[in-house]
Amino acid sequence: MNVLSTYLSRFYKFFTGEIFVLPSRTTALLLCLFLLIFPLISPNDFILRVLIIASIYAIFAASWDLLSGFTGQINFGHAIFFGVAAYTAGLLNYNLGLAPWATIPIGALAAVLVGLIIGIPCLRLRGTYLAFATLAFPLILLGIIQAIPNITYGELGIPRVDPLAGSRVATYYIVFPSMIVLGFIMWKIADSKIGLVFHAIREDEVTARASGINTTRYKLLAFCLSGLFAGIAGGLYAHFVNAGPSTLELLLSFQVIIWAVFGGIATIYGPIAGVFILYPLQKIVLTRYLGVPAELTMLIFAFIVLIVLLFMPQGLITWLRDKTEKICPRCKLQNVATRSECRVCTAELD
Amino acid sequence: MAENIIVYGLVWSGVYALLAIGFSLIFGVARIVNLAHTAFYMLAAYLIFHLNTAAGLNVYLSVFLAIIIVTITGTLSYRLIIARIRQHESTTLIVTIALAVIFQEAVLKGFGGTFVSGPKLISGETGIFGVGVLNQHLLTFGVVLLLLLATWAFLMKTRTGVAIRATAQDREVANLMGINVPGMEMITMAISAALAAIAGALVAPLGVLTPGMWMHPLIMILAVVVLGGLGSLKGSLIGAFILGFSEILVVFLAPSGAFLKTSVALTIMLIVIMIKPEGLFGIVFEEERG
Amino acid sequence: MKIVSKLAIILLIACLVMMGVSCGDEEEANELKVGVIGPMQFQMGEHHWMGATLAADEINAAGGIQVGEDSYQIKLVQVDSNELVSVPDAASAAEEAISVDNVDVLIGTIRSEAALAVQEVAMDYETIFMVCGSSETAMSEKVAEDYDRYKYWFRITPVNNTALGNLNFLLVGAVAQKIGAELMMAPKLAVFAEKASWTEAIVAAAQAYLPPQGIEVVGVWQPSDKATDVTAELTAIEAAGANMIMTALSGPVGIPYSRAWEELQIPAASVGINVMAQADDFFVNTGGFGNYEMTLNSLARDVALTEKTLPFIEAFIAETGEMPTYNAGTYDALYVLKEAIERADSVDMDDIVVELENTDYNSVAGRIVFDDNHDVTWGPGYVTALGVQWQDGELKGVWPPADGSWNGVAYEGIVDYQLPPWVVEFWTQ
Repeated sequence: MNVLSTYLSRFYKFFTGEIFVLPSRTTALLLCLFLLIFPLISPNDFILRVLIIASIYAIFAASWDLLSGFTGQINFGHAIFFGVAAYTAGLLNYNLGLAPWATIPIGALAAVLVGLIIGIPCLRLRGTYLAFATLAFPLILLGIIQAIPNITYGELGIPRVDPLAGSRVATYYIVFPSMIVLGFIMWKIADSKIGLVFHAIREDEVTARASGINTTRYKLLAFCLSGLFAGIAGGLYAHFVNAGPSTLELLLSFQVIIWAVFGGIATIYGPIAGVFILYPLQKIVLTRYLGVPAELTMLIFAFIVLIVLLFMPQGLITWLRDKTEKICPRCKLQNVATRSECRVCTAELD
Repeated sequence: MAENIIVYGLVWSGVYALLAIGFSLIFGVARIVNLAHTAFYMLAAYLIFHLNTAAGLNVYLSVFLAIIIVTITGTLSYRLIIARIRQHESTTLIVTIALAVIFQEAVLKGFGGTFVSGPKLISGETGIFGVGVLNQHLLTFGVVLLLLLATWAFLMKTRTGVAIRATAQDREVANLMGINVPGMEMITMAISAALAAIAGALVAPLGVLTPGMWMHPLIMILAVVVLGGLGSLKGSLIGAFILGFSEILVVFLAPSGAFLKTSVALTIMLIVIMIKPEGLFGIVFEEERG
Repeated sequence: MKIVSKLAIILLIACLVMMGVSCGDEEEANELKVGVIGPMQFQMGEHHWMGATLAADEINAAGGIQVGEDSYQIKLVQVDSNELVSVPDAASAAEEAISVDNVDVLIGTIRSEAALAVQEVAMDYETIFMVCGSSETAMSEKVAEDYDRYKYWFRITPVNNTALGNLNFLLVGAVAQKIGAELMMAPKLAVFAEKASWTEAIVAAAQAYLPPQGIEVVGVWQPSDKATDVTAELTAIEAAGANMIMTALSGPVGIPYSRAWEELQIPAASVGINVMAQADDFFVNTGGFGNYEMTLNSLARDVALTEKTLPFIEAFIAETGEMPTYNAGTYDALYVLKEAIERADSVDMDDIVVELENTDYNSVAGRIVFDDNHDVTWGPGYVTALGVQWQDGELKGVWPPADGSWNGVAYEGIVDYQLPPWVVEFWTQ
């Protein structure tokens, strides 16, 4: 009993001290909770489908952020990780009958391998060169997939991949919590020493190297980590939608950057929020709730992205964060913008 | 066979070169990766088609009007949109993609998604080395050659050209020397958009127009500029020829693999930059001064 | 804290309100909702929609579908699959139609990838799905593999890949005969097929079966289905000495192909499948080129496949100004559905499926009978399809030959095939 109450009070303290002090964290928590109970409120299959795909893409967008947002190694061909994992998972499932719990990790490992393969040569490339070179990888793979249809099933994609779970609601309860957990892990990585080094590489690689950091190793690590998470997303996608050429298309590589930049890069939560705002907006909200004719959604979608970025070039979530929060100059903790002194060290906030 | 390869290789390399040089110019001068570049090309092609068929204008007049309209659109989108966010690299990428998508969707809504082919500027064919070549192809190549020379002369021989090159080399110093840097950037953007529009005018009669027609050339010119070295016009030119010819070679030498032509070109690009990471003629950019 | 909780509450309420709105779609009594799914921003989708609209209006005006004492009105729901731009959108759109708009039946789709994806979704919901646009055999194979799951799937048009392959060879044979007779030479064939799953069997079969029949295959060219310039390929075909080209094209590549083919005066008769050449605006789209090209088609303006063909074509042209393409097979689909429901005397999906299987309906495109795998049957006495040729800017039916030499099938309005004059000129000089 005593133990329980200690835990409860710790729990309570954590919530009041770490979460409820900031509106952003409170909102995030509430939205997570809301989405967790969402199927109980409205178990509409289509809305759940959109939310499941949004969760998968959220993992994917966050993984792009981990690589490109944090280390500044802009990846224009991020779909390669997604597609390789989706195809690996799909083929293993279709040909060997492996279950999703086996195919998804193997698919993710395949994506890590791809991260290594393209990471090593790409280490020599910098900036825009890297961006354009990475663009080529998924497109070349697409050509190969077209060329050997007896193995890859060509443009039709893998005929049948087993679903993740029997029902839509069950699938939702697999994918959505996975997204929360994976997102949290990525956020923790970004917040750790590794994340700090990634930041340093983006800001000034030469200086980072001069400070004794093996930047090559860290950049490779970024490629592999990013591949891992993107791979998990790809594997989930294969088992939910399917594994076909659309998982490697240029459109997807561009789309992931749109989501990430829209939300705000180098935050992890920015891209996740970006997906959860933009994807349902494009798929349901515009047509169903705002009465936009279906053929205009893409145009309006592009306009929204353009306008938002024009006024908030750092991304929507970053902008909101900067408006509502201040960072304490002494202890670097976030504070509500209305406060005049830091909530922990009571230093004066400007 | 060899003569076919040379003729078609020259035509398509020329088109890629035209597009890549415009892209390279604005990158070199303003450090802007303009992913909407080929959308200008698409826009021009559609404008010509519709000014000619729907509005019933003379072909040459439509071409002229289309180039003007696209140049203005390009300059305006630089002025009103791109220039405001250019210091955020990844935001620029997304905003230019958004622009391209807006143009694509606007064309789709305005002109419909049916595949159409643009009006011929000249018709008929001529035999060269025993190869039947469409006169349109000859015209394309001729105009490309002329424009490349004109661009070269403009950059090398005129005061504005020198100012543009100076800005490309070092913005801060150029600014200190009294060069109107933002002005140069505007001029470059206008030239870049005009080159894309002309490429559109030349390509419109060769293939079909679809609102998504900007994707493939965009991939190709990105590969071209990386292969040649970012910001290097000579590099873009040579890169365009290497990739243009490799596409045509695939079509002729491996006909049942014609669909792989882009993959092959991209692989060549990758191999080259693995060996020479700054491209064939690239200059290693130092970090921009803060 | 106060602002925080207020904000959160507002957000929650907003979300709940939105969800509430979403579930407000009530189904009316005595209404059969049919989702017409296709790329609505393109001609194919427009024809899907127009074909279905015509049928629905006719059926509703004639009193709807009779089930026992009740009469059901057909209500069409337009579903934009966006499949030509993004394949995954199609499955999403299908699910939205089924689970939000509560459609009872889906008809349409064109691209095989999309049709396959929509098939899976429709089967998940045990919703009848009638394809009007994709020939992919993989779909009917699924019916054979897992009947209980896939029995809700049917193909109205076109005939499947295997039949398309056979048809292609029949057309090639007809033209080869003509070349033999008029040019006194052995046919030399170049295969020009887009790289896609549906062309695989055709390409392989061409290389295997045509040479023994005395048709030499000089080479196979496989561009991307979205290629916008194929002059290089065509020049290479000319250089290879071909006097015939067998096409298997469904994508936009068909336009630059036809255009360059006539403009470069490639001395080889073009025959096969070019979906772009089936549409009325083909000539406009190619800028006036493509005359003498021959392609497979389901309808031709003056050819009466059944007594229903010409009235339908007239009605369709009156409505749209365009000749219907095979995507307008949604018209037949609705009639097939209506008859099945009336025979079943029930709106239960399983009952309807049983009666759909017993379909024997004289449609616009021929007699529709489904085979064991729910594919529309191809052959004499069933749906045969047509060979059509562009002659002086008009699409004329040229196959099956008017003399009935193909299994005694002869339709009114068939004219003779003409070799392109430049081909004749080139080879007789």
